Amino acid sequence: MLGYLTRRLAMTIPTLFLVAIAVFTLVRLIPGDPVQVMLGDNTDAAQAAQLRAQLGLDQPVPLQFLYWLGHLATGDLGHSITNNLPVLPLILERFQVSAVIVLVAVGLAACIAVVAGLIAAWKQNSALDLAIVGGATLLLSIPSFWLGLLLLLLFGLKLKWLPVIGYVPFSENFWQAAMFMLLPIATLTIVEIGVLTRMARAASIEVLRLEYVTHARAKGVPEWLVLGRHVLPNAFAPTWTLIGLVLGHLLGGIAVIETVFTLPGLGRLLVDSIFARDYPVVQGCLLFTAVIYVVVNLIVDLCYPLFDPRVAVA
Amino acid sequence: MNARRPSCVMMAGLIALAAMLAAAPVRAGAETLLRTRLNADIRSTDPGTNRDANTDGVMAHLVEGLVAFRDDTSIGPMLADSWDVSNDGKTYTFHLRQGVKFHNGAVMTSADVVWSLKRWLDPATQWRCLSEFSASGIAQIEKIEAPDTQTVAITLDRATALFLPTLARPDCGQAAIIHHDSVGPDGKWIAPVGTGPFKLGDWKRGQYVDLVRFDGYVARSEPRSGNAGAKTADVDRVRFNIIPDSSAAKAGLLSGALDVVSNLSIPDLEDLKGRPDVQLSITPALGLTGILFQTRDPLLKDLRIRRAIALSLDTPEIVDAVMEGTARANNSALPIGSPFYGEAEAHGYTQNVAEAKKLLVQAGYHGQPIKMIANKRYSYVFDSAVLVQAMAQSVGINIEIEVLDWAAQLDRYNRGDYQSMAFTYSARLDPSLSFEMLTGPKATQPRKVWDNPEAQVMMQQSMMIDDKAKRQELFDEMHRRFIDDVPMVVLFNGSEIAGLRKNVKGYAGWLFAQPRFWGVSIR
Repeated sequence: MLGYLTRRLAMTIPTLFLVAIAVFTLVRLIPGDPVQVMLGDNTDAAQAAQLRAQLGLDQPVPLQFLYWLGHLATGDLGHSITNNLPVLPLILERFQVSAVIVLVAVGLAACIAVVAGLIAAWKQNSALDLAIVGGATLLLSIPSFWLGLLLLLLFGLKLKWLPVIGYVPFSENFWQAAMFMLLPIATLTIVEIGVLTRMARAASIEVLRLEYVTHARAKGVPEWLVLGRHVLPNAFAPTWTLIGLVLGHLLGGIAVIETVFTLPGLGRLLVDSIFARDYPVVQGCLLFTAVIYVVVNLIVDLCYPLFDPRVAVA
Repeated sequence: MNARRPSCVMMAGLIALAAMLAAAPVRAGAETLLRTRLNADIRSTDPGTNRDANTDGVMAHLVEGLVAFRDDTSIGPMLADSWDVSNDGKTYTFHLRQGVKFHNGAVMTSADVVWSLKRWLDPATQWRCLSEFSASGIAQIEKIEAPDTQTVAITLDRATALFLPTLARPDCGQAAIIHHDSVGPDGKWIAPVGTGPFKLGDWKRGQYVDLVRFDGYVARSEPRSGNAGAKTADVDRVRFNIIPDSSAAKAGLLSGALDVVSNLSIPDLEDLKGRPDVQLSITPALGLTGILFQTRDPLLKDLRIRRAIALSLDTPEIVDAVMEGTARANNSALPIGSPFYGEAEAHGYTQNVAEAKKLLVQAGYHGQPIKMIANKRYSYVFDSAVLVQAMAQSVGINIEIEVLDWAAQLDRYNRGDYQSMAFTYSARLDPSLSFEMLTGPKATQPRKVWDNPEAQVMMQQSMMIDDKAKRQELFDEMHRRFIDDVPMVVLFNGSEIAGLRKNVKGYAGWLFAQPRFWGVSIR
């Protein structure tokens, strides 16, 4: 177990190094100059040159990369060009907001989707199956920003049950924070239910066709026990892999949802930084996302044997 | 079935709680809170240094300078009660207002003014407008003296009409007079201890900026005008919520979660017009939107083709369609709201399809594509580009629109790397600066769109002369040459559109499209 963990962690180092090169290069390839964005249409050449030198942007790009990499090795992601704040604390602060939404939404979506997928598989080709599959496809097709705006209009403007804009951290006021989080979490949950239900259904159908399920039924095991004890654990493993991928993807930022609901999350930080050409923050966000992706998938792999004992971590 | 009951109860409880929270009053106790919106966070609390338009707008509530722009873009007194100018136009003697207090309770004296001005002129401060006071700028400051506690004398190396306007510029932080407690012993910025009607409250990055009423503020006696005049804080707190998405901001206004939403886009207007609980404030602004031509381009260096494009356009129709009646057509570099906008400036291009076609034949134009860069950050820029493309097509001009994001377009603009471009300039409060942003040698300043040496001389002269009539003559002549040379086609000046809840009183936009919350109350 420890050896496996060490090997997996060691493998992430070259991956992250390649990601660092790619991120740095890609960010520099985007047309636009952070200094010009800061100074606007009233750019004085001397002032721009001074600012560029102050930010280290007058140095050759390979030198800038080495400088960044050197600091990266010590855990320093640099300072934001826009507001001169250290990048890592900025990212961690924003990540907390995104993480709460994503973890709760994906957790809820997984609970609902796995049950719905199992039922759909159990009643395969029935009207219920058709309804669940149709519903999942519909949810999958709805753009999250549109759904978010609809929920905002309904619960915020029409019914006035929930606040429309703003954010309160859970550490400040739990209930108010929950009110602000309800709509974004609901939006993301609804979208992710569509993704996960299809996978849960497909995996359950495969397991239902296996001989040990037929054997259990032939022995007279009640149907709820067949589904709960024999089908669900075995069908959950592939869904768990997909949950890992979804989590890795979403934890890197849910910019659209954060923008619609005015939440100061990681995705909005990334998008704002791209528009401002705030290179250190963009690089930091993308690298952080890569790390999250790797870590989440590692955790998923480590948990896999819990659901499928045939898979050994070693 | 029983197992379901607790979840139903919980859901009902949650909804009831949500309804209670949503219905919670805006005012907690006796405090009056005005909630508004910024489309992006401020960059810093250090005015005139690390700044953008949002930063300038917030800082204008916290700090003040010696002088300030009035509604009509003339210069009015602020922390200085009056000033004298020496006969040679080089020495300005400011007589300070008495009894002005900083946010920390200290009374402002000439020593604070001298300290603040010297700090601005220190390169370490990185003041945005430092270059204006360098050898290549409007004038260099030779001396700053304080003959007594209420007088400050500033001596320049040469006379200039732009000295006071530069001190008053919002992007220069209004050359704010701040207390030295604003910086630490090492000279590093802490927070603004200014003289404005509001003090800095809580700044939660990415969420909101709170300003708190400064109870020790003593307002001027003149009425509010631009950034000058009386500034009374009629609410206890102003909260600038950071809301990038305009749909979310509009929803906030409609739900009552926001009291004022400024910088509304044109498409929002229709939605808000019929709402009984919302009022609109539409004010002409000084920004300038137009079509830039690269006069060094092999095709567009031909004046006849540029003129043909200008004559193919029905500018009033474009403006009506794009701005939905909130702005007027204007082909001049001077904004309509400028006190120097006169009869001469009102003469621009009139659509003449036959003449445009004739010019194209003379120029030997055969439908070669002309690339026009536009962006969607400002909807009116993209919409203008589309209409210009359609109208130009009617005379046989083939324009292809290329949409870039704002940063990429700005980069191309600054390098002069374009054939044509639909572009919007931010407001310039002095007419000389309106021409300065367009006129200059392309060899050293590629962003300048109009490379006419005679115009540059006239523009420099307009910066030196203080006489209004002489300046007017210069601007009129520059306008005529600008129209003749067609380096760009100015289409219109923008407008500042704000949506307000009906209970907001006293809000008024002005030519410089920045919201002001002094003199604004909630009833």
